[in-house]
Amino acid sequence: MRWGMVIDVRKCVGCQTCTIACHEENALPPGIFWRHVVDVEVGDYPDVRRAFLPMGCQHCAEPPCVPVCPTGASQQRPDGIVFVQYDMCIGCGYCAVACPYRARHMIHEQDWYFGTPTASETKARDPERHGVMSKCTFCKHRVDKAPAGATPGVDPEYTPVCVSSCIANAMHFGDLDDPTSNVSKLREEHQPGVLLEELNLKPSLFYITE
Amino acid sequence: MSGPATPTRSPAAPPRAIALMPAVLQHEWDLYHATWFTLMGIGGGIFLLARLLRLERGLGVWLGLPLVDLVSFAVISVGGLLLIWSLGRPLRFLRAVLKPGTSWISRGAIADFIFVVLGGALIVPSLSVRGATPFARLPWDPWATTVPGRIIEGVALAAAAIVIVYAGLVLADKAAVTFWRSWAIPAQFVFSSLAMSMATVMVMQTLAGTPIESIECWLLAKFLALLLAVIAWHLATRMTQPGKAEALARLYTVYGALFWGVVVAAGTVLPMLLAVVAALLPPTREAFGAAALVLTVGGGFLLRLLTMRVGYFPPVSGMLRVPKR
Repeated sequence: MRWGMVIDVRKCVGCQTCTIACHEENALPPGIFWRHVVDVEVGDYPDVRRAFLPMGCQHCAEPPCVPVCPTGASQQRPDGIVFVQYDMCIGCGYCAVACPYRARHMIHEQDWYFGTPTASETKARDPERHGVMSKCTFCKHRVDKAPAGATPGVDPEYTPVCVSSCIANAMHFGDLDDPTSNVSKLREEHQPGVLLEELNLKPSLFYITE
Repeated sequence: MSGPATPTRSPAAPPRAIALMPAVLQHEWDLYHATWFTLMGIGGGIFLLARLLRLERGLGVWLGLPLVDLVSFAVISVGGLLLIWSLGRPLRFLRAVLKPGTSWISRGAIADFIFVVLGGALIVPSLSVRGATPFARLPWDPWATTVPGRIIEGVALAAAAIVIVYAGLVLADKAAVTFWRSWAIPAQFVFSSLAMSMATVMVMQTLAGTPIESIECWLLAKFLALLLAVIAWHLATRMTQPGKAEALARLYTVYGALFWGVVVAAGTVLPMLLAVVAALLPPTREAFGAAALVLTVGGGFLLRLLTMRVGYFPPVSGMLRVPKR
């Protein structure tokens, strides 16, 4: 099993709902965004379009951030999810300078949007996350909750919140190793590309552009 | 009456690399790390050079202990404490040794510990406090004249060598920053460390009343010549690579005066030329040693700081087609 995402750039409208949903779900402090949407201009006049690409940790199959970690806090699960074991992290920043996608963010200080924590910030607050590196977890806290019979990527409750909140159905999550999964079918049908393919890090985020 | 021709849409373009996110500066590592790299280079270097050139006896003794070794441990310790202070979770610093198989920070931290512990063990037999020598019965001496002493000294020297080189390897090994991913970075750091250390040893010789030999001046000149060559190599290779091009542009514009004036001219070329003069004219050597210390340490620190400050993540690009409506 290897979790991954297929993002249909043709459908993304750049509304940033995924950005905000991720931010709320994970109670991230001001200025830290594990998911964000890049607004780019592609093509040459007159064939020019605006395109929106949801970006974040690519959960590479060969992540450069994991081996550089001096403590073993930066880890990769057998299902491909790359995450930080907060209680092992010393906050040296080596993984952040190793990630070419700039998907890692140090949370230096506990900070709230409105001075005091909101209800959602209180709910998802994790004191262990301060002074350490943080990054997208593919909402593993939701994925891991899936009971027998439920399928992350199909059942919204057990799907990364950026995917389940997407208003345009542009983001899809599932098992890349399962040929019958939604993401495998999309990959077969559209042959989506990856970012920084030349680095051969085998990212788990695929982008459909045509 | 006809207006300007309306451009027609061409068929779907083939996929091409499109920059999605521009190159951006890294902000994780800066002043603390440049200072840490500098202190590790000097600390490991003075131990290494003093021992290899067998100069440690002429550099002074304090409480019966070789002063150069004490200075080395002090500098390494300050560098280590500075690094620990810069961590997000300083109290967990001991965990930094857990992944020597893959992480240069772990390898370096282990080398630091081995160096300080074995270096300390090497010199402790000669500790003399008010006439008492509590460790004199240990079967070695600080000058490594016995087999156990030579073994301890050998391991400490190897650890010191790793201490000097690992800072550069931390940057060059797996960092995403293009400017750092070159063997030129550890090579620069090593030659700069050896130059700073040689100058430090010269000043300690002057303070201890020991004459500076011409070989030391020639060595310093050679270290600086090699440093200059490696800097030139680093600047001249892979110049158009994404991330490297932005770094060079920033180095030449924002930091141009500091880089060319302090790192290259004052920190490398000038002390190299003065070292040749000092090698040929013995009376100038004491003054040269002091000048070389100021110039090489200033240049070496700035070399490391600017290396941090021009570290660009390369642009994130993808092979994209123009999406259809």
